[in-house]
Amino acid sequence: MQQETSIKLFLAEAGDLARFSARFFREAFRPPYEVAAFIRQCFVIGYRSLGLVSLTTFIMGLVLTMQLRPSMVAYGVASQIPAIVSIAVVREIGPVITALIFAGKIGSSIGAELGSMKVTEQIDAMEVSGTNPFRYLAVTRILAATLMLPVLVLLGDAIALYGAYLGVNIRGITSFNLFWSQVFDNLSFSDVLPAFIKSYFFGFAVGTVGCYKGYSSRKGTEGVGRSANSAVVVASVVIFIIDLLTVQIAEAIGIN
Amino acid sequence: MATRISDNIRLGTFVLGGLFVLVLLLYMIGRNEHLFGTTYVLKARFHNAQGLVKGNNVRFSGIQVGTVRKITIEESTQIEVTMSIDKKMRRVIRKDAVVSIGTDGLVGDKVVDITPVSLICSLARDGDTLTTKPVVSLAALLDTLDHSGRDISVIASELKMTVQRVNRSAIWSLLDDSTVPADIKVTLSNIRQASGRASVMAGGLDRLVQDMRAGRGAAGILLADTVLAGDIRQAGKRIRLAGETADSLIGTLKNVAGDVQAGVAKNNGVVHALLYDTAIIEKLNTSLDHIQKGTEGFSQSMEALKHSFLLRGYFRKQEKQKKKNK
Amino acid sequence: MNIDISTGKDRAAAPPVLRIAHLYKSFGAHHVLVDFNLELQKGESVVVLGRSGSGKSVLIKCIIGLLKPDQGTIMVLGVRVQDAKGESLDQLRAKVGFLFQSNALYDSMTVRENLEFPLRRHWMRLSREQVNERVLEALNDVGLAHTIEMMPEELSGGMRKRIALARTLILKPELILYDEPTTGLDPITGKEIIRLMTDMQQKYNTTSLIISHDMNCVKIAGKRIVILIDGKCYADGSYETFCRSSDARVKQFFE
Repeated sequence: MQQETSIKLFLAEAGDLARFSARFFREAFRPPYEVAAFIRQCFVIGYRSLGLVSLTTFIMGLVLTMQLRPSMVAYGVASQIPAIVSIAVVREIGPVITALIFAGKIGSSIGAELGSMKVTEQIDAMEVSGTNPFRYLAVTRILAATLMLPVLVLLGDAIALYGAYLGVNIRGITSFNLFWSQVFDNLSFSDVLPAFIKSYFFGFAVGTVGCYKGYSSRKGTEGVGRSANSAVVVASVVIFIIDLLTVQIAEAIGIN
Repeated sequence: MATRISDNIRLGTFVLGGLFVLVLLLYMIGRNEHLFGTTYVLKARFHNAQGLVKGNNVRFSGIQVGTVRKITIEESTQIEVTMSIDKKMRRVIRKDAVVSIGTDGLVGDKVVDITPVSLICSLARDGDTLTTKPVVSLAALLDTLDHSGRDISVIASELKMTVQRVNRSAIWSLLDDSTVPADIKVTLSNIRQASGRASVMAGGLDRLVQDMRAGRGAAGILLADTVLAGDIRQAGKRIRLAGETADSLIGTLKNVAGDVQAGVAKNNGVVHALLYDTAIIEKLNTSLDHIQKGTEGFSQSMEALKHSFLLRGYFRKQEKQKKKNK
Repeated sequence: MNIDISTGKDRAAAPPVLRIAHLYKSFGAHHVLVDFNLELQKGESVVVLGRSGSGKSVLIKCIIGLLKPDQGTIMVLGVRVQDAKGESLDQLRAKVGFLFQSNALYDSMTVRENLEFPLRRHWMRLSREQVNERVLEALNDVGLAHTIEMMPEELSGGMRKRIALARTLILKPELILYDEPTTGLDPITGKEIIRLMTDMQQKYNTTSLIISHDMNCVKIAGKRIVILIDGKCYADGSYETFCRSSDARVKQFFE
């Protein structure tokens, strides 16, 4: 019985989330557009996450390189480290790590912010003040998350590759030019484009889940905390599901 | 209000930074794939494309100069490969350059190699078709190796038969029979041929092993340390050994033949010859044993090669074909 | 003591600011409002008294259009709230102030931005100077002009309530709905807030509908009191009449 209700709850939540996304598409592309609020959110969501994303992707690039090194040396292909790291970073690690960090920072903050606004009636206050709060709060945040995450992913990729360059040079000597040409000789459009496209979906997922969780927050401080927490969990899971779907779609249409 | 403006400046910088990375990424990749740079087209016709696919690299004397743009089948026997070549190479690639399909490493990606021949010929122009060279593939090499091994064992058995005849025949008839020395001579030349071939083969195998060792790509590395490489090397050694034994044998036989001939000519020295006889036969026998052992070892190595996982497919295919032919 | 269930005895010639007729609202099986009726004339100040969970908040959220009633009619300033949509609803809401129980000040904005928000949202045609003027006027009304650049989190509960009141007043509404204005405040601050509310009502000649269970509030602000029990308008009268009431359910509140 318990299991049955939890499955029902899960399905109900999935349905609610789908409805919420549908509402986003209904409302996002109709005037009036909340341009100022959108730009503000771009700043808060995108620019303010740059430091965290830079730090994590830098460490990922560095550590990945150093971790790969022993086995690459054992196979006698230490010279291939830049190629392998760049492909790993651009295809998977850059987008996914950035998206997960983004879910942790932005998903939770959107969930908590909208949750507390809901609980303290700020959302109602906005509605009373002649504002469509869904457009003013949710649409701007979802759009900003969707558009800003790819930018973060690109910058994160660049920083991770710089970390990899340093990682290569800790135990060996590779000139920047050699590293550069090794990286770009081995990258192709099919490495960059699916990864770039999927990061839009990651951003959309983080924004939508965060807003949905905030909007459906229950009363009380515990409700706010819970919606922030579950925003991160659900967004992270959705990111992995999207990741799985992307690789299969890319495989199916032959650009993997 | 001032903070809003500076925030917007930061946001703008941030977004432009991301866009810059995107453009850089796409441009660098595009440049490597010769999408944005100016290129011209060269063509080559092959009978067998060897698994070449669109996008494979084209190299000129080992330098990356372009990619395969298109592969089309012409008249069902010819395959036309169209290549995009960096425009800078216009002043380098000549009309008589030879195009071949090779492999990057032992089992890596296929590459198109353009090899310059002369410095006199006029430069190749956009759309020109270059001449091609048939491909020496690993498969073909192993094929020859197999043949040579079989040849050696045939020769060895021939030699043995001769020696047995020498052994069996009465000394007198041996002395009278003028055909025997001639027989021996023929055998000698056969052995020499075989040993010459064996040493060439051994050299080839050595190179192969070296290639494998130097070979790039994961498969090359893998091969360098597998049984396969060891097997091939062993086979080479054995062949060489067999060749050397055959060489010394040839020397001995020559002497024998000379002596016999001299005896026949002088019509004396029967006792001498008789005395000689056992020693010769001893020698001949041991030498032949060596050769046989050598060839046996070689066949074993070939057998091992056949079972080696990388080449299994190749030999299986061959067997199938044999069955078909039967 | 006869309890007057009908709404308002002396109907003025002018149409009522607020008229609620046969209002029903339920959440699932839980019937919150059952045939609720109420009428407010211009300049009136009415307190709706009821226990927690008796549906007071639901009532005023229905009035402002945040909740949709199941049945019945709500006429605000001559407009049927349920039928108003989009722009007409916004126009109506610009004339109706709403003081939230939890103040609902925007945490991410300064006091000035909080006050500007409804102004910018409702009347986009105001100039920068006019906006500043209105903001200062509203802040002076509540005596907190010095907090203009502060964030809501830096303010005390009473100050926040005043800012929220200022934000409600800045649109110069004809009808103000107060959702438990003294909840969460100490009795002294609560009294100050209620005085401020009555002062403002006199100054701008607005109509007030106050939801409360705080007797201090009821005593000062309520010239007319409506008791909400079981989703109905159980009693309607003045503070004095209720004090003398012998009805057990009324007495619960006035003891």
